[in-house]
Amino acid sequence: MRWLEEIVPTGLEPRELARRMTMAGLEAERVEEVPAGWDNVFVGLVTRVDRHPDADRLNLVDVDAGEHKLRVVTGAPNIAEGQRVALALAGARLIDPYTESPTPVYKTLKPGKIRGIVSEGMVCSERELGLSDEHEGIMVLSEDAPVGAPLKAWLGDTVIEFEITPNLVHAFSIVGIARQASALTGADVRVPRRVDLHTLPGSSDVVAVDDVDLCPRLAGAVVTGVTVGPSPEWLQRRLVHAGLRPVNNLVDITNYVMLEFGQPLHAYDRRRLAGGRIVARRARPGETLETLDHQRRDLTGDMLVIADAEKPVGVAGVMGGVDSEVADDTTEILLEAAAFDMKAIRRSRTTLRLRTDASARFERGLDPNLPGDGIARALSLILAVCPGSTVTAFQDVYPEPVLPWHVTLPVSRFERVLGVAIPEPTIEETLTRLGFAPSFEGDGGERRLTVTVPTERRDVTIPEDVIEEVARVVGYDTLPETLPSGRLPAIDRALDVDWQRAVRRRLAAAGASECISYPTVGAPDLASLSGGTFDEATLVGVLDRRPAVDLLTLVNPIQAERPYLRNTLVPSLLALAAENRKHETRVALFEVGSTFRPVQGQELPDEVATLALVMSGARAVTDRFAAAGTLDYFDAKGVLESALGVDTLSAPLVFVAAEQPLPFLHPGRTADLRLGDRQVGVIGELRPDVARSVGFEDARVAVAEVDLRALFAARVTRPTGKRVPRFLPAQQDFAIVVDRSVSADAVRDALAAGAGALATGMTLFDVFEGEQIGADRKSLAWRVTFEAPDRALTDAELVKTRSRIAKVLKQRVDGVLRG
Amino acid sequence: MTFTDDLAALRQRALAALDETTDLPEVQAWERATLGGKGELTGLLRGLGRLSAEERPEAGRAANMVKVELTEAFAGRQRVMAAADLRDRLATDAIDVTLPGRQPAVGTLHPVTEMIEELSEIFALMGFQTVYGPEVETSHYNFDQLNIPSDHPARDVWDTFLVEGEGEVVLRTHTSPMQARVMESTTPPVRVVVPGRCYRFEAQDASHEWAFHQLEGLAVDERITMADLKGVLREMARQLFGGDRRIRFRCDFFPFVEPGVDFAVDCSVCDGKGCRVCKYTGWLEMGGAGMVHPNVLRAAGYDAERYTGFAFGLGIERLVMMRHGVDDVRAFAGNDLRFLRQFAGGI
Ligand SMILES: [Zn+2]
Repeated sequence: MRWLEEIVPTGLEPRELARRMTMAGLEAERVEEVPAGWDNVFVGLVTRVDRHPDADRLNLVDVDAGEHKLRVVTGAPNIAEGQRVALALAGARLIDPYTESPTPVYKTLKPGKIRGIVSEGMVCSERELGLSDEHEGIMVLSEDAPVGAPLKAWLGDTVIEFEITPNLVHAFSIVGIARQASALTGADVRVPRRVDLHTLPGSSDVVAVDDVDLCPRLAGAVVTGVTVGPSPEWLQRRLVHAGLRPVNNLVDITNYVMLEFGQPLHAYDRRRLAGGRIVARRARPGETLETLDHQRRDLTGDMLVIADAEKPVGVAGVMGGVDSEVADDTTEILLEAAAFDMKAIRRSRTTLRLRTDASARFERGLDPNLPGDGIARALSLILAVCPGSTVTAFQDVYPEPVLPWHVTLPVSRFERVLGVAIPEPTIEETLTRLGFAPSFEGDGGERRLTVTVPTERRDVTIPEDVIEEVARVVGYDTLPETLPSGRLPAIDRALDVDWQRAVRRRLAAAGASECISYPTVGAPDLASLSGGTFDEATLVGVLDRRPAVDLLTLVNPIQAERPYLRNTLVPSLLALAAENRKHETRVALFEVGSTFRPVQGQELPDEVATLALVMSGARAVTDRFAAAGTLDYFDAKGVLESALGVDTLSAPLVFVAAEQPLPFLHPGRTADLRLGDRQVGVIGELRPDVARSVGFEDARVAVAEVDLRALFAARVTRPTGKRVPRFLPAQQDFAIVVDRSVSADAVRDALAAGAGALATGMTLFDVFEGEQIGADRKSLAWRVTFEAPDRALTDAELVKTRSRIAKVLKQRVDGVLRG
Repeated sequence: MTFTDDLAALRQRALAALDETTDLPEVQAWERATLGGKGELTGLLRGLGRLSAEERPEAGRAANMVKVELTEAFAGRQRVMAAADLRDRLATDAIDVTLPGRQPAVGTLHPVTEMIEELSEIFALMGFQTVYGPEVETSHYNFDQLNIPSDHPARDVWDTFLVEGEGEVVLRTHTSPMQARVMESTTPPVRVVVPGRCYRFEAQDASHEWAFHQLEGLAVDERITMADLKGVLREMARQLFGGDRRIRFRCDFFPFVEPGVDFAVDCSVCDGKGCRVCKYTGWLEMGGAGMVHPNVLRAAGYDAERYTGFAFGLGIERLVMMRHGVDDVRAFAGNDLRFLRQFAGGI
């Protein structure tokens, strides 16, 4: 914040500035005071130092801190008269320097006696103030520290962390942010001091560019007589606040300038460069480089490197090499500032899996005019920090300088896009403050705006970009709210989705709850469904069955063991049911979701709307009305019948005993759902061993999966309303004894055939097996409703029908009417 | 004993007996014993035939009068007894009405489903059609057609799941691919919303989920403006949260819109004053929006000079969380019935 205020004195409170910047598109993610605390700590002047009368190693110190003039006791060896120090008064919260805890432990300062002498305060070390680990002596402040001022005002700062979206590379620096702040507040920007590059001794032997496409600009300066050492305190502090670790003055300055101007720089120890110059070229086959992180990297031919006469010394725009790193004994450096092709940098860092501050900036596309500012600023800092250093050579290879460009648009476009006109003076003033050069021409409705765009604004290329620049500064609060005018498009409802919605509601009404599970599955889920074994050749799935190797596979799954996109909803729903069953006595879950079926020769898979249902546990939640028994096949079948059986389909939906039961289903309790010849679903109970393996303790777990798309396609008509018969129906019961192997559906079909058109309803109400009717026989009892639309049925008619039913039953299923 | 004497005795006896009946079955038994086919009076009346011709008319009249009298007495007694019987029944049938009812099992819809349906309805009122798109998508539609070319740093913003295979196929990172698909298959005016599941490679925590739902909106015509976008979003907010809501736009960047904003609605819990739900900001951040980038219009074959459009996207789970105080996004994919049942009455 101090850094920013130095460049653009907005005079705003940090939080207010953060809020205004955020509204205009530079999102402040964090506003934080550094360091925290420091109440009751002041800048004090040491006016007198005396030996402690009773202790050799202690001193009595008079400290003048304006309003507070105190005598304190200290053991610090470096205390001296005339020093400016940090004086903590009673009540200050300081870090306890004697704990080993990695997180700071605070203690509140109380007045105390040390060896009989009252100490009314304390002079602090850097560690106690949370500034560093230094605790050998007290922290000595610079001479310009204002005596009596709160330390916070002198040394503390506020850090605002901005989120820089990919389009905001021009604001990825203090100066860039300052320009935005200037546009918002009207405060002027004071660009930090830089050397005038034209005054430097030119040279043609510092840098060279082999590949102008990948490196449109390379500037280098040779500086001799440098001394490597720690940076000045203010510079270190700013780096620390920005989250960087100070290294040495030269490296720190390159980082500082990267933060300040957004231009990454690199300093090489020139004596370690073969030939003393650098060249930007593509890496050669077999070349390697040990980067600053001490990793040996293999370089490939599409990577741009910075090389000396012999070998690469850095991966361009990503990271430098260890061999040419600035070291303590460095006296002569080559400082590099360059512009690189953003895509090339992105490729290098992805290939190397190496993301650095520099690459993050280069791959967003930096302004090729920025290296000039960057190197000029860095040289000015180096000359200031290393007295005695000189720039002996400078070269800037920049064959095709990028010039500002123009964007032209009708002024009326503002209103077309925003819905409100912006006055020309506002447009002009806003754009000018943002660094653009606007000009207007033409008259009346033909007024046109031409904007000259500074080269750092690579994100502004079309009229809409210009409109946004104005709108975000003017503020979107002023935008009116209207509803779209004009024609309405014709609306076609998605009938399949509407129908799925109805199915979901029917399922919920039938007692099942909807889930939305994850779409990925893996070996653990699929193995239990395929007989316990699993490899890529095992057939997996329920309705759609194929080898796992043919499933869609994610390159980067969230869970490594679940890489496949499911072709069945069953495993994920089973897992959810088992999990819920731990705390529910009755579990009935369904999901309507996509299953993914890869199609040969097609880029995208077939996404099939699929329904899955799982039911297990008690049939009814325990209460005084509870129905006995546990949920089983018939419960699931009933739910499907009530949810799906009410639609008018092109063929009846029938449940047929599965000819080839799926390996995870009980072979005697599974059926295929058929619609004519077509299988549209599977229903069954889990094999008991499978149920256990997927986490159920229940003996019975009923499962179903249905292809909703196929069912929807078979919906033929909407129902037709028919007049209700005026005459009351007659009901008769038929108990039919047949061989046990005959299916109920076969008996029902025979019954229906015998009953003819007068039968309008049939309900099976009893199934009985026992001695009375003979071994291997069963009795099925139906209540049949007879009605005619135009008359009351007579007894004679019913008697006739009954005898016809008896005949047909005998013929078709060898059935006998009982009673 | 004469017939008349017998008749009088019978009448007296029968009326006395009737008086002594105490409930409906006794009254009915009395009726059978007295007036029934085998009853006393019937038996006596059969004796009429044995009387002389002179006696018969008089006796017949008297007998008939007794029969009518007894029948009426029976009916009266029966009414009294029926009423008493009903009173008894009502008294003994009384129940404890606070005992729980007989409940059919009822399931619930997932809150995400309910929110999608609610939003579809809200936007249908403003003339938007709901359409759906594939979850597995080509990078052509997921990125290229949306002004996000490969090699562009913007692609990093979406941490993408890649599908193995020859083509560049991904799990869609947003519902925006349908912008391109819809525009390719229709001509303006376009007004659609696209709900659906999206996927981003993200570590999960209380506010991040790798599989989540979005709703995308798109309107393209000759006179669509950013003010329309704000108006439509405000109308949505009003329907969702009630009251007179305000919409806040903040400049933001999405490659497929220009200008781009993120939008927030003022918190309906505290009326923008700041509370726990809005994290003391007064605003609930809903999603991203903006004017369709001319490159996106052109990529779909539209004349970017003639047409303008707006687009927006919002997170469904986030919306349910904000409106219903859900504090952990993982609850939606957790599908715990104890969570789902809280929305059994709809959201
Ligand atoms: Zn609030």
